[in-house]
Amino acid sequence: MKKAPDIRKWIRQAGSALAGRCSVLSLAAICLLAFSACEDVIQVEVPEEPPRLVVEGLIRVDTTEEYLPIRVRLSETAPFFGEPQLVRDVDEISIIIQAFDEDGNPAGSGVTEMWESDTEPGVYIPIVIPGDLDERVPMSIIEQDVEYTLVVTWRGRRYAAQTRYVPSVPIDRAELGDRTLFDEDETEVVVAFTDTPGEGDYYIFDFGFGEYFPSEDIFSDGEQLEFSYFYDQQFDPGTNIEISILGADQVFYNYMTLLVEQAGDSGNPFQTPVATVRGNVFDVTDLDNIDNFDNAGQPEIFPLGFFAIVQEFQASVTVD
Amino acid sequence: MNPRFRLPPVCVLLFFASLQLFAQERYTLSGTISEAGSNETLIGVSILVPELQTGATTNEYGFYSLTLPAGNYDIVIRYLGFADIRQSVDLRTDRRLDFSMAEEAEQLDEVVVTEQAEQLDIREPQMSVATLKTETIKKIPVVLGEADVIKSILLLPGVTNAGESSSGFNVRGGAADQNLILLDEATIFNSSHLFGFFSVFNPDAIKDVKLFKGGIPARYGGRVSSVLEIYQKEGNSKEFKMNGGIGAVASRLLAEGPIVKDRAAFLAGGRASYAHLFLPLFDIDNKAYFYDLNTKLNYRLNDRNSLYLSGYFGRDLFSINDLFVNTYGNAVVNFRWNHLFSDKLFANLSLIYSDYYYGLELDFVGFEWNSGIRNFNLKYDLKHYVSDTFQVNYGLHNTYFVFNPGKITPNSAESGIVEEQLTKKYANENALYVDVSHSVSPRLSLNYGLRVSQFNRLGQDEFFVYEDDNPVFFDPFTLVYRENTPIDTVSADRFETLDKFLNLEPRVSVAYTLSENSSVKASYMRMVQYLHLLSNTNSPTPLDVWTPSGPYTRPQIVDQVGLGYFRNFSDGQYSLETEVFYKEVQNRIDYIDGANLIANNAIEQVILNGEARAYGLEFLLRKNTGSLTGWIAYTLAKSEQRTPGREQVTFRNRTVDEPGINFGEWYNTPYDKRHDVAVFGSYEIDDRWSLNTNFIYQTGQPTNYPVGQFEFEGLVVPYYGLRNQERLPDYHRLDIAATLRPRKSREKKVRGEWVFSIYNVYNRMNAASINFRQNQDTGRNEAIRTSIFGIVPSVTYNFSF
Repeated sequence: MKKAPDIRKWIRQAGSALAGRCSVLSLAAICLLAFSACEDVIQVEVPEEPPRLVVEGLIRVDTTEEYLPIRVRLSETAPFFGEPQLVRDVDEISIIIQAFDEDGNPAGSGVTEMWESDTEPGVYIPIVIPGDLDERVPMSIIEQDVEYTLVVTWRGRRYAAQTRYVPSVPIDRAELGDRTLFDEDETEVVVAFTDTPGEGDYYIFDFGFGEYFPSEDIFSDGEQLEFSYFYDQQFDPGTNIEISILGADQVFYNYMTLLVEQAGDSGNPFQTPVATVRGNVFDVTDLDNIDNFDNAGQPEIFPLGFFAIVQEFQASVTVD
Repeated sequence: MNPRFRLPPVCVLLFFASLQLFAQERYTLSGTISEAGSNETLIGVSILVPELQTGATTNEYGFYSLTLPAGNYDIVIRYLGFADIRQSVDLRTDRRLDFSMAEEAEQLDEVVVTEQAEQLDIREPQMSVATLKTETIKKIPVVLGEADVIKSILLLPGVTNAGESSSGFNVRGGAADQNLILLDEATIFNSSHLFGFFSVFNPDAIKDVKLFKGGIPARYGGRVSSVLEIYQKEGNSKEFKMNGGIGAVASRLLAEGPIVKDRAAFLAGGRASYAHLFLPLFDIDNKAYFYDLNTKLNYRLNDRNSLYLSGYFGRDLFSINDLFVNTYGNAVVNFRWNHLFSDKLFANLSLIYSDYYYGLELDFVGFEWNSGIRNFNLKYDLKHYVSDTFQVNYGLHNTYFVFNPGKITPNSAESGIVEEQLTKKYANENALYVDVSHSVSPRLSLNYGLRVSQFNRLGQDEFFVYEDDNPVFFDPFTLVYRENTPIDTVSADRFETLDKFLNLEPRVSVAYTLSENSSVKASYMRMVQYLHLLSNTNSPTPLDVWTPSGPYTRPQIVDQVGLGYFRNFSDGQYSLETEVFYKEVQNRIDYIDGANLIANNAIEQVILNGEARAYGLEFLLRKNTGSLTGWIAYTLAKSEQRTPGREQVTFRNRTVDEPGINFGEWYNTPYDKRHDVAVFGSYEIDDRWSLNTNFIYQTGQPTNYPVGQFEFEGLVVPYYGLRNQERLPDYHRLDIAATLRPRKSREKKVRGEWVFSIYNVYNRMNAASINFRQNQDTGRNEAIRTSIFGIVPSVTYNFSF
C-alpha cells in the first residue's frame, strides 16, 4: 500500500530545497541593493530530559562470510548540546534465535551471549573464548526462517527488540557523474540497481559520510532504476566513496526515512513536524513475556534505536 | 386559517412584515452606480435617504434597490473618495436611477464623512469584516515593492501568517486551508507565488477586497475559518486605458477599454517576474519565475441583463539545470449572468471552472509528477430587496470536484520508473441557503440565515476497506501509530456514493445601536468544510494535495461566536472596532508521527481526526480621514489543537489505551500567536509626496527544540518531546515607503508614480525557523536560524495613460 517514499522524498525535497537553499532568494537578490544572509548560528537554550538507552543494532550481512557479523553498539542519549555517553556496564546482552519450520511452527532455538568488544568500547559482540566458548552464529542461519530477539538488561531495566533477516540486491553500476543540482560544490554519483520482482521491497542506500537514502520499489517494481545522488561537497581526487545497498522491511525503512529527515533538517518553513523517532526496541521490564505488555500505559518509557539484520552489497567509486 | 397549516413563528413574523410593506403605497428606486470615468460599477456605495433615516448599499455588481413610501426625497449617494451626489427624487412610481460618481479632487482632507454615512455602518449587523480598497493596498509598504493583497490583510487584527516565506494566511487561529479565497466568485486553491513571497492577485486588476473573519453570511460555505472575497475590475467601457508598473521583481501591464461604448468592455492584465532574464549573464542555468494573466469581458445587454466572462491564469516555474523542473498554478474561467427579474429581485448565475495544477520533473531520477484539483461550480444567487428594512438572499451552489493525488510517468525510455496513476477521487458538494437582512427597529437589525450543505464522496477505482473501518493502527508494543493494512479493495462507479454528509449551518448576527455613533454586535455561525489540505508543515506548500471527506475523514465543523463594540469618534474621523471571539473546530485532521503525505495512495492510514479551538480579543482603531490616515490593530489570541486517543485497542488479547497525538493533550497550533500588533500609517505630505509606514510585532510562532540527541550509524539525530512547546523569537519589523507623484502636466498623457520603499528598516533578523543539526565540518551540534529578509530597499515605477 505504501507509495515509493523515495519518490516522495525527492518531491518534497524538491520543494523544500528551493526554499531551504534560498535559491529563489538569490535570484531576487540580483535586483536588490542589499541582501542579507539566510542562515546563521545562534545560541539557544534547549530543554533536557533524563538519558535513555540507544541501541545501534544494524547488522550488515555479507553472505560470503563464515559468521553473522553481530555487533551492537549501546549508548545513552544526551542533551542536544551535550556529549552522548557509551553504555559499558550492561548486566546482560544476548540474542535469542528462534527458528520456525515451513508451517510456521517453532523448530529449535538458541541464545547467543554477548560481551563488550576489546577494541571498540560500547560495542557488544558474541562471546568467543578460544578453545572454550564460541557464541558466534554461522552464516547458514540465514537460509532458515528465524526470528532474532535482542535482549539487553541495564540498570535494572530490560529492553528487547525483534527482527528477521532481510535480503538485498546488488548494485549494478555506480559511477561518478559531472552534473550539479543546486550549487557547484556538489558531487554526483549515478547508481543503478535492479529491484526484485514483486512489490513491497525496500532498500536503504548508505552513501557514506552519514548519508543514507531510503528507497522503495512501487514505482519501479522489478525494473532497473538508475538515479543520481548529489553529495553536498566536492571530494579530493583519489577519494574512494563506498556505497552500500541494504535490505529493509517496511518498519526499518520508515525508521530510516524519519531518521534521515530529522538528522538532516535543511531548515525551511516546509519542514515536517518533528517527532521522536522510535525504533523497534522497547522497554519490557514489566512484561512477563513478550506477548503481554503491561507497560503500554506508560508511553513515556521507551528506549531509542533499531535492531535489524540485513544483507549488504557494496560498490565503490573513485573520484578522479 | 386552516388549523392544520401552522406556520412557524418566524414565518409568521416575516409574513406580517411583508404585509406591512404592502399595506402602504410603496415604490422601488433601483439602479446601478458606477464610476464616471470608466463605467466600472462600484461596490458598497451608500444610497441614503436622510428624511427616513434609511438607506441601502450597492451589491457586488453595483446594483441597489430601495423600496420606500411614496414621497419626495432628497437622496445622497456617498462613497469614500468620491464626490457626493445629491438628488431630489419624486417617488410616485417605481423608478430606475443609475448614477455615475466622479472621484473627488485630490484634496483628501476635503472628504467630509457625515454622521449618517457612518451610521449605516454602525447599524449593519455584519461584524468581523474588513474591506480594503485597492488604493490602500497599493500604499502599504511591502518587500520588493510589489503591492500585495494578502500581505495587506496581514495588517488587520486576527490575521497572521507564518512569516515571509510562507504561503497563505491564518485567520483567528485557523489553518491556511480553512480560508475560502474567491476571485470573481471562483475558488482559488493556492494564493501564493514563489512559495509565498507574493500573492497571486495582480493589484491593478482588483476592484474590491473583503475579508470575513466571523459572522459569515449563509451565502458562503465550504471553509471554516474565513472568506476572502476579491472582485476583479470589469473593464473601462468609456475609453481605452493602460496602466502598469515596473518593480524590482516583477512588472505588470493592464489594458482596458470599450468594445461597444458604454455597453461592453474588456480588461486584460498581465504580470510577470523577470529576475531570471538576467541569470544567463551570470552564467546560471537556473530559472525561477512567475506570471499571471487576468482577463475580463463584460457586456451590458440592457438594463436587466449583463454578462461577464472572466479568466485568471497563473503559473510559477522553477528549473534547475533542467534536472529539476517545477510548475504550478491556478487557472479559473468564470461566466456570469446578472439578471433583474424585477427592480427588487436581482439574480446572478455563475458557471465556474477552476483548476490547480502541480507538476514536477526530476530528470536525474527519470520521472514526471503531476497532481492537482479541478472543480466545476454552478452558483445561482438571488437577492430580493423586499423593502428598505428587509432583504432576502437565497440561492444554490453545486460543485463537482476531481482530485488527482498524483500521476507518475517515466520521462524517457531509459527510465526505470513504472507509470502509475494514484487513485483519483471524486466528490460533489451542494448547498442551499437563505440569508435575511432585517432591520427590526431603528436600533435593532439582524442578519439570519441557514445554509444546508450536502457532500457526496463519489466512487473511485480503488477504495481500501479496513478491519473495523480503522485505517490507522495503534501498535501497543512500540506505542506508535502505524498504517493499517487494508483487508479489501473495492471499485465503485463514479455515480455511486461512498459516503455522504448533510449539515445545517445556521448563521445569526445582531446589531444593536446604542447611540448615533456606537453599537454592539454579536454573531454566531456554524460552517462546514468538506475538503482537507494534506499539509504537515507550518505553512502550506504548492505540492500539498487536497483530499475530500469520506468514510475515514469527517468534515471539519466550526462553531464560532463573536461579540463586538463599534464606535465612531469625531464625526467619523476615527473609528474603533473591538471584538472577542471563541471558536471550536471538530474533526481537524492531524497526522501520525512520521506521516508521509506525498504520493500516498492511502492517506487515511496516516490521518487521525482531532479538534481545534481558538479564542481572542481584537482591537482596531482607524483614522479614516485627513492627511494622516491609518490604523492600529492589536490581537490577543490563543489557538490550540488536540487529538485524543480514539479508544482502547485490543491486541493479542490485551487492552491498552491509545495515547493520541501529543498524549492527547491540547497543544499550540503552529499559527498560535499570543500578541499581534500592526500599525499602518499613510501621510500626505503635499500633492507630490506621500509617506507610508507599517510596523508589525508578533509573538514568535510555536516551534520545537530537541529534548536530546542520539547517534545511529553515524547519524546525529535530535529527538523531540511534546509538540510545539517552544517559540521562535518574537517577530517584528518596520517598513517605510515614499510615493512621489510628479506634478501633472497638461501636455503629457502619461501619469507616473515612483514608490521608494525600505522593508525591514532596522534589519531585524526574524527567524523563519530554528533548526538543529550537526555541523559537518566541526562535528559540533548547532542551532541554525533561518531568516528570510533583512533590510530590503526597492524602487517601483507605476504608470497609467
